[in-house]
Amino acid sequence: MNPPGSMGVQEHSAEEPLSNPIHTPSILSDDPQERIQARRLRIAARVEARRREALGEYLDGKKESEEDHSKSYKQREESRLKLAKLLFYGTELVSNIRVAIDVRETHRRVEEEEIKRLRVEKLENEVKTSQDKFDEITSKWKEGRQRQIPQELWDMLSAQQLHCAGLIEDKNKLISELQQELKVKDDQYVKDLKKQSDDISLLLERMEEQVKSTMKAFRQELVHIEKAFELERQELLISNKKKWEWALQAHSTKELEYLINRMKRVEDYEQQLNKQRIFDCEEYNTIKIKLEQDVQILEQQLQQMKATYQLNQEKLEYNFQVLKKRDEESTVIKSQQKRKINRLQDILNNLRSKYAKQKKQFQEENQSLTTDYKRLVMHFKELQKSMRHFALVDAEKFREIWLMNEEEAKGLIDKAFSVDRIIHTQHLGLPWTAPDLWFLSNVGPISQQPRKSATQIVEEVLRQTEEEEEEEAALHPESYLDLPKQISAKTTKKILMLLCDESGFLIESKLLSLLLSLEKTECYLLRLDAIFSALGIESEDDLYKLVNFFLKYQAHHGSSTQMNPRDQVGTEQPSLTSGVELLSVETAEDQSSPTSVSPRASVASGLEVAEQTGLEGGAGGEQEEKVAPASPGLIHPNDVLKVLEAFVMGLRKPRDLQTLLKVTRNERDDSKDSAYWEALSTVIPDARLSLWDTLYTALERYHHVLTQRAELLLENESLEQQNAELQSLLQQYLHSKINSQLQVPPTQVFRIPTK
Amino acid sequence: MQDSRPPPTSPKLSWSPLVPRSPSVAAHNPATGQQPAKRTVPNFRRMRRLIAEDTEWSLAIVPLLTELCIQNIIRNFQKNPILKQLPPEYQQKVLSQLPPDLPLAVTANLIDDEGYWRRCCMHRWPVCHVARHGGSWKRLFFERHMEGLLCHFIPGTTDPGTILDLLPLCKDFIRSLRVDQLLPPVYLPAPPRVAGDQSDSASEGEPEEISADHYTLGPLVAGLSQLEELDLVYGVKDCGMNFEWKLFLFTYQDCHSLAATIKACHTLKIFRLTRSRVDDEKARILIRSLLDHPALEELDLSHNLIGDRGARGAAKLLSHSHLRVLNLANNRVRAPGAQALAHALTHNTNLLSLNLRLNCIEDEGGQALAHALLSNTCLTTLHLGGNELSEPTATLLSQVLSVNTTLTSINLSCNHIGPDGGKQLLEGVSDNKTLLEFDLRLSDITQECEYLIGQALHTNREAARQQALNPGHFVLPVTASGPGKSVA
Repeated sequence: MNPPGSMGVQEHSAEEPLSNPIHTPSILSDDPQERIQARRLRIAARVEARRREALGEYLDGKKESEEDHSKSYKQREESRLKLAKLLFYGTELVSNIRVAIDVRETHRRVEEEEIKRLRVEKLENEVKTSQDKFDEITSKWKEGRQRQIPQELWDMLSAQQLHCAGLIEDKNKLISELQQELKVKDDQYVKDLKKQSDDISLLLERMEEQVKSTMKAFRQELVHIEKAFELERQELLISNKKKWEWALQAHSTKELEYLINRMKRVEDYEQQLNKQRIFDCEEYNTIKIKLEQDVQILEQQLQQMKATYQLNQEKLEYNFQVLKKRDEESTVIKSQQKRKINRLQDILNNLRSKYAKQKKQFQEENQSLTTDYKRLVMHFKELQKSMRHFALVDAEKFREIWLMNEEEAKGLIDKAFSVDRIIHTQHLGLPWTAPDLWFLSNVGPISQQPRKSATQIVEEVLRQTEEEEEEEAALHPESYLDLPKQISAKTTKKILMLLCDESGFLIESKLLSLLLSLEKTECYLLRLDAIFSALGIESEDDLYKLVNFFLKYQAHHGSSTQMNPRDQVGTEQPSLTSGVELLSVETAEDQSSPTSVSPRASVASGLEVAEQTGLEGGAGGEQEEKVAPASPGLIHPNDVLKVLEAFVMGLRKPRDLQTLLKVTRNERDDSKDSAYWEALSTVIPDARLSLWDTLYTALERYHHVLTQRAELLLENESLEQQNAELQSLLQQYLHSKINSQLQVPPTQVFRIPTK
Repeated sequence: MQDSRPPPTSPKLSWSPLVPRSPSVAAHNPATGQQPAKRTVPNFRRMRRLIAEDTEWSLAIVPLLTELCIQNIIRNFQKNPILKQLPPEYQQKVLSQLPPDLPLAVTANLIDDEGYWRRCCMHRWPVCHVARHGGSWKRLFFERHMEGLLCHFIPGTTDPGTILDLLPLCKDFIRSLRVDQLLPPVYLPAPPRVAGDQSDSASEGEPEEISADHYTLGPLVAGLSQLEELDLVYGVKDCGMNFEWKLFLFTYQDCHSLAATIKACHTLKIFRLTRSRVDDEKARILIRSLLDHPALEELDLSHNLIGDRGARGAAKLLSHSHLRVLNLANNRVRAPGAQALAHALTHNTNLLSLNLRLNCIEDEGGQALAHALLSNTCLTTLHLGGNELSEPTATLLSQVLSVNTTLTSINLSCNHIGPDGGKQLLEGVSDNKTLLEFDLRLSDITQECEYLIGQALHTNREAARQQALNPGHFVLPVTASGPGKSVA
């Protein structure tokens, strides 16, 4: 209704001219200084306004507005409300015309609608009636056709005509009515137009009036507001002035009061001062006397103090000197220490560097040594390789040399034999038989028979026993006694079977499943193989040791069990240990046996050796056999494990020794070689040699005679020859010319002897 | 300012020879014409002001060469428009002296100066509301020029080129077109007063007309890329006693072409088609083309013949556009149409103003609208004047008033509310704090009620004013300092 902006502007414009001329310096003033001042003030005001705006002092503003409930504010509000009302009513007045027209229009519309409805109704009625009439007429036409008499026809036609005329008349009437209405409407239109123009003019009039009145009102209100402001300002000025005067008066009275007070006080102070002066003088004198006394006393004290001071000074000086000296000393010591530290630091550094150097050096050395080591290892390997190679070569060479030597020796022996034969046959006239010696048939180096492995033995044993079992019924039960070893195959087999059955845990489960499909013997064989490998039994010897151990254990233990079967468990351990001892003794014997055998063999002839071993074997076999038949049945399967445990315990010790021996065993056993060569060298017995010696001496003597005779013959011959030669020479001389020339020819002298 | 101030005595001496020659200066420059008169009074301030602040003042007696050149440029501006090449101060001088009747082809794209266009406008039309054209004189000139051309365009007689030739010149400046008459085609030999504003000729036109189509706006609107407002009346203004129905014939052809035009114009925000005898069919055609229009905000179809079907179409448009203002005043909308609008209004969140003045929605429609307003929280203005409403609607509206907090203005004038309805409305208004205007004139309510409602509205208005004033409290000093600057 009332635009606040315009109000604001109005207020402003009302305020400004009032406020300007009173106190603030005007911008329009002639004095430049004043203008500057005014501008500055304006800028300050603007800045202030902006600051307040920025701070958003809402509360402040509100307070201001509340405070401002002064006359001017009231006037402003009042006039604003008045103007708003004026505007509101003015617009209402103007818009009333529109509203009135709207109402008129709605009424008109309603009426129009009613009229329209009526008209439509009427028209419809008219249509209906006219239709009826028309129908009547048309029906009469049909009647007319039936009329024959012209008179009647004419009558009817005239009646029809009349009817038609009536119908048309009705229609015309309606049309005229409607036209009438139209005309009325036209009139109304004109009237409406007129009315509208009237309305418009009225509207314009009202608007103009409104504008005028509002302008007037605004002006009036402006004047009112201005007046109000003026009034307010005046009031404010007066009140301020009053306040000012009152304050001034109050100030002056107060000032006077103060002055009187002050004067009074000044007098008071002067009196007090006088009193104080007298009092002070007296006091001063007494104090002076007292102080002088004090001064004297103090002077005395001062003297004393001075004396003590002197003393103290000297003392302190002395102390100072002493301390200075000490300080010097300490500085000297300090410097020495410093130097020492430096030196030590140097040494430390040197040592460090040395250490580093040596570390480096040692590292290098280490490296070189490792490389050396590597090289040596390589070298060693190569050496081994070459050694192996050389060993092979040596063996070959050895064999070749052996063969060569043997051949030579054989040749020599043959020669010796042939010589011996010749001697025997020709010189002695004895029949000669060629000696049949074992080594003569030997060709090549003597090699020991390869040891059989335990499994091979077992296989053999099993096969043999199997075969024998078949033959057992028919053949002699002792026929397998010719086995090379001490123990019968049957016992062995039994023990092995027992072992096989009892120590199945040593066999791997996989293997067991595989074994099911195999034959019985093969099955045993494979099982035993596995057990042996588990027990560490490798060679023939081990196997026999095992068997022996069993038997011995049995023998040893059997007796003990027979003696006190109740103590079996308790004595088991000792018996086992004894068994082990037994075994170890035996192995020791075994080891020593070859060495003990060889010297014997070297002394004895080959045949004897063979016989001896055979006898030994046989004896052993028989010896064992005595025990054996009883044993297999007696070994309880439950004991087998204990026995095995003991055996393994025992076997472990000798195993170490055996490993040592193995090394030597790998090399060739040359103990029999010397015997062999020895044997070769003693093919011809001593008796024969002595025979040969005597024969030799006799033959030599005979030879000597023969040579003497030969010499003589030779001498004889040479003499004959000499003789012949001398004869020929004499002949020659005799027959030569010189003789003739000579005065006395020798020929004459003597007689030729030849004749 | 102080530095430039000469010693107080010297100016008087130096200017004294100027006094006798002042008439020539005055004749040449009216701005300086006042000076000699004032100079006779020895006023220090005036003298000082001259030197410091009057840029127009110069010592020149003989016109300068630049002045002559400028005069020449102005004289030959039509043939040889030189403006941009000039320095700014001369540009200003040229612009201030150019004649306002230069051809548009020369000036349209060359001159942007508002002063020139202001002179042009003032020269052509006695009354100019520059505020209605966005405060731009140039825009005002072109818009009114185009409006004038359209108002006096007679299809088949006037050359369409006259409009389309102007199009490339004015397409950047025209934002709104308010055409308050579109003439029908004339088949008489063209009367001498074609450009006249009366259409007497049309009244004497032949009864047999082959086509009554008006000018098709399609090409024109398509060319105006900035058009935002389109206000059309397919009818003749001021026909007076020469009234004839065919002067107000909005044909289907017109309707279809107009529908296509507004559909293609995506910048259109305001569309008004009033006093054009638009019936249901045509309204539906137009509204169909406006469905889902990207920019449309105001639709005014007042003073037409739209019935319930058209109202239903408008209701559909409400839910398919961003319409903010809908005006269906003075149509033939009855209760079903109002119910359809009410249904659309229930879920609408865009519409701010609804005008159904001078329809006949009666209580049935009024109640439906009141029900819709119970759930609507957007509508602020509702005009239901002259709708044959009575007490039942008033009771419902009073309920709405106690609940609704968005409505600020309601018009129920020219209805039969009755004294009881008035009391109930008074109850509703007393519970409401937002309503600012409530027109109940000529609605048969008691004076007492009207007065009390007025009081309640007054308090509401005062509260709203306080609320509006408080945020604006701090703006006041800034506006106050505004005039101060002009003094400096």
